[in-house]
Amino acid sequence: MMWLLAQEQAPAPTLGIFSTGSVIDFAFILLLGVIIWIMVARARTGRKIPEIKKIAGLEAVDEAIGRATEMGRPVVFIPGILSVDNPQTLAAFGMVSHIARQCARYDTRFLALNCDPLPYAVIEEITRQAYLEEGRPDAFNPDDIRFLSAEQFAFVGAVIGIFERERPAANIMIGAFYAEAMMLAETGSFQGMIQIGGTGMTAQLPFFVAACDYALIGEEIYAASAYLSKEPVMYGTVVGQDWMKIIIALLILTGAVLATVSPDSKFLSDILGGY
Amino acid sequence: MRKEGPMILTVISSLVVVFSQYFFLGQKWALMNSVNNWFLISYSIALALGFVNLTTIHFKYIQRKREGWFYSIILLVCMYGYLVLGLIQTQNGPQFDWIYVNAYSPLGATIFSLVAFFITSAAYRAFRVRTKEATILLVCALFVMLGRAPIGDAIWGGWSAFVSKWVMGTMNVAGMRGINLGIAVGGFATALRIMLGLERAHIGGSGTQ
Repeated sequence: MMWLLAQEQAPAPTLGIFSTGSVIDFAFILLLGVIIWIMVARARTGRKIPEIKKIAGLEAVDEAIGRATEMGRPVVFIPGILSVDNPQTLAAFGMVSHIARQCARYDTRFLALNCDPLPYAVIEEITRQAYLEEGRPDAFNPDDIRFLSAEQFAFVGAVIGIFERERPAANIMIGAFYAEAMMLAETGSFQGMIQIGGTGMTAQLPFFVAACDYALIGEEIYAASAYLSKEPVMYGTVVGQDWMKIIIALLILTGAVLATVSPDSKFLSDILGGY
Repeated sequence: MRKEGPMILTVISSLVVVFSQYFFLGQKWALMNSVNNWFLISYSIALALGFVNLTTIHFKYIQRKREGWFYSIILLVCMYGYLVLGLIQTQNGPQFDWIYVNAYSPLGATIFSLVAFFITSAAYRAFRVRTKEATILLVCALFVMLGRAPIGDAIWGGWSAFVSKWVMGTMNVAGMRGINLGIAVGGFATALRIMLGLERAHIGGSGTQ
């Protein structure tokens, strides 16, 4: 029945195969895919690819784990409060792997606190695998990967309680955060933790900048796994991402020039909005 | 196969989402409905896992009489009590609904209200004039605050509102849109890395290939 209803409601295709208004979107994704593929191919064949700038927040991850190791206190990781369908949560997974490995290597307790059950299940598996690959499966404690609550403020209450009781030395928050960003970061700051906060939620970024020692601003969280892996192939994907941004910036510049020279012209908006 | 299986599933699922989002046939067949249903099923299973995790941890706290163990009893009683009530009454049950509206909502609002105090303490730290950047931040914040409070109008008339509007509408929006652009491209690139099998963090292991 649902299928029949959907069939009746579907509008006519654009260019024969695309859904309405999605041609340009798809073209952009395709272009990004091609650019990334070129950069990855260059990296694989050992050709030179542009360098990535140093990201202080990511350089500080090992420093934070080192500090926790010296103090004999845990490292806390919070992957935001959204589920696995959000790219910021996927970006957080890339970091968990690195952090869990470092904690396993230095025998530092690793606590992952989750608000959503799906990231909880994924992070438990990533951490287990990281400990296994570091040759320390016995050190992995499943009780340290915790699901606290699917309700935002119940989660905040639970995290603040854990901060007070367990006294972690480092707090790394990467993912999608809302109002809880300020509460978690400030509580961590009161406790004297070394804090790294990163999110793509622009409304929460100022809070991380104000309350954390290091902040990963927007897209930097997406570069995290590539940056920490230090693999040229992964660097290639980040460089491809930067090329795409340059193309979009040029498009914006062209639009600004066109709008200034000929304010009535709808040339660019017709192309970009018409398909 | 332990890693290849989930990887193949990831690639197939992502291709289905792309097909249903951008292609006419995908929309016509309403493929996203199936994807959403699978997501809900996975979520429910994971929620059960989370439930087990909470129970195990707090049961251990009670067993070992860890400091504050009686809070674990309260948590387990509330969690299982509310679950049983929900199973009996369903989500529209009068008592089930009453507890949510009269117990959970005020508690949530109480926690949320703490944000005001946290913002004040964070703002104090951020606005301390220690560097050139902090000074610029402080001056901008001062103008924005005055522009949005009645005292600004009383001191400078319409000027404070004008400056506040300009800072928020021109400087702030320009910066925010730049950041949003990077976030959108970064999100796409992350999705592509996963689709192409370059990033494998979500299936465990070193995270990259």
